[in-house]
Amino acid sequence: MEPLLDVNASPMACSSLSSSAPIWQDILAQAMTGELLAAMNYASLSEICDDPAEVADALEHAEGERGHAASFAAEGRKIGLEVLHNVDAKHWKRLREAFLRSIAQRDFIACLIVQEIMLESFAVASYSRVGRVAPGTLGQTFARIAAEEEDHVDHAMSILRAERALDAQRFDDKVHRLHLDVMTTLAQMLAKECKDGHCEVCHASCVKPSLFDVRLSAAELRGASLRQYLKTLDMLGIPGERTLEWVTQLPV
Amino acid sequence: MDVDFALIGHQESWRTAAELLAVLRGPQRTALPDDEIKDILPWIPPRAVCHVDIRSTAGAKARGVYIDSFIPPDRLDAAYVHENIARVRGAAACAIKAGAKIVSLGGFSSILIEGNVDQLPQRRDTVFTTGNTLTVAFIVQGIRRMCYLAGRNLRTSTLLIVGATGDVGSGCARCLAPFVKHVLLSARNQERLRKLAAELKCGGMQVDMATHLQQFSSAADIVLCAASLPAPSLLPYRISSGAIVCDAGYPKNLCPNADMPDARIFFGGLGQITGGMKFAPDLDGILNRHPFPDVVHGCLLEGMALALEGRFEPFSQGRGFITPERVEAMESIAARHGIYLAPLFNADGPLEDALHRQTAGRGVVVGEPTREDFAASPLA
Repeated sequence: MEPLLDVNASPMACSSLSSSAPIWQDILAQAMTGELLAAMNYASLSEICDDPAEVADALEHAEGERGHAASFAAEGRKIGLEVLHNVDAKHWKRLREAFLRSIAQRDFIACLIVQEIMLESFAVASYSRVGRVAPGTLGQTFARIAAEEEDHVDHAMSILRAERALDAQRFDDKVHRLHLDVMTTLAQMLAKECKDGHCEVCHASCVKPSLFDVRLSAAELRGASLRQYLKTLDMLGIPGERTLEWVTQLPV
Repeated sequence: MDVDFALIGHQESWRTAAELLAVLRGPQRTALPDDEIKDILPWIPPRAVCHVDIRSTAGAKARGVYIDSFIPPDRLDAAYVHENIARVRGAAACAIKAGAKIVSLGGFSSILIEGNVDQLPQRRDTVFTTGNTLTVAFIVQGIRRMCYLAGRNLRTSTLLIVGATGDVGSGCARCLAPFVKHVLLSARNQERLRKLAAELKCGGMQVDMATHLQQFSSAADIVLCAASLPAPSLLPYRISSGAIVCDAGYPKNLCPNADMPDARIFFGGLGQITGGMKFAPDLDGILNRHPFPDVVHGCLLEGMALALEGRFEPFSQGRGFITPERVEAMESIAARHGIYLAPLFNADGPLEDALHRQTAGRGVVVGEPTREDFAASPLA
């Protein structure tokens, strides 16, 4: 049997973990679902790559994301939780479908924009926040994976910047089109309250109102994600006034 | 395309922040609820919000960009100073990226940076100005104009300056002290107060100073609030009946009310660019919510005036370097391009017509000087 609590966790961490285990279970479930979806996306991406090096790269990323999902599952087991995932949950499914539309068009750049700019901004920002407050190895795992996801983004940035240099207007229009599709769904996921029913990932009722108990909040996770997204778009060189409009037009 | 100038600012109230976000969100979407705005705005990184095209009455044109630092309106106090300096630094980096040749620091940004200019990012072709010299010019002109309209004699007046040791407060003290009977200086820093008082006394002026308003024994006829008052309710006990009160603090927090029923309160430090100003997207009335068109804070107008003049230099930097001569030089530059003192107003609206009616009834207004006259002879 797996130990109920990590031996390295402090007494404070142990007690806070046991009382807040259901919250961590849902946080881990969302993170694990996101990682598995990312693994599926990279596997799909490998199928449209012509260059063998790009194929290998995509498959390596897919493997890495599966490894992240396994790490989250392991963290759950450490605190006696089975972390369930659901890549068919309504929001995640829509995100997967959006990605597959770009795959269907064999649009490698669009795939990178969706996965690396939009989904990874959300992952990097939210994992970093969780990493700061989660106790023991749970926090360390979130922080480590946030840093690894950030490396992915850096890798994609050079490809995307080169693409933008060819035709900035066309590139920015493509990002906007994908933003309307993907970020609208992400914004609904990140809303302070799930107004349109259960997300199909949380194991019971919505975890968002309970996040305060672990020194997090839905508003903070959304804010940090949007900030990361805007900063990433800034790094691509898309005019700030344009991306500000995009973000202010998202649903809340 | 590179721009000539950049203006760094922030929203001074949640209401203006809501209006800005509503315009950016577009008319077809419902406005964001207040609680969502308060949750989202603090996370927005500094960025360009709109382009600003300005025109000089002398024919010159300049293109700029307004960059919002997105300092939350309820985080203007000392507890957030490091966070806010970081935001202004971020906004400065945006200005540099936009290729601005001169950058004006508006509102609270100017207060944050006046003693920390070395903390701004550097680029050879971009200079920063706090804009405080033109702010001082418009405050001084406003006080003189208000005195004129109210039939007051500056020379027989006692002037109280609250926030006297800041860059704007000390600049105003140097410009106004020689023309009043008695100066009362108030600020939190005793050492800086002592230094400023000594400087003014050397010029033969009658000066008193205090760190708390309650410590003054005499009442003021003219009050300049160069800093926002932490407790505006203290002011009424230190001013004489019918006093002229210039609110030049940021954010402005004085309004005509029951505490000061006789006071003639006006907002100071604002100018008008009479050649015209256009925002793209159109944020007219949102970024410049005033009862008159093309009215802007003096600190921002300084960068615009210098851009129209083609003088890309850090005209105002540091604290305590604003002299009557520098003010006069800046006023001349501004006036050459049709940038003048804005018509006077306060939270209740325009003031000058009502003052005209009152004073005309007493036969005071004869040969009224124009705004150009005030700018042409600022310290006369």
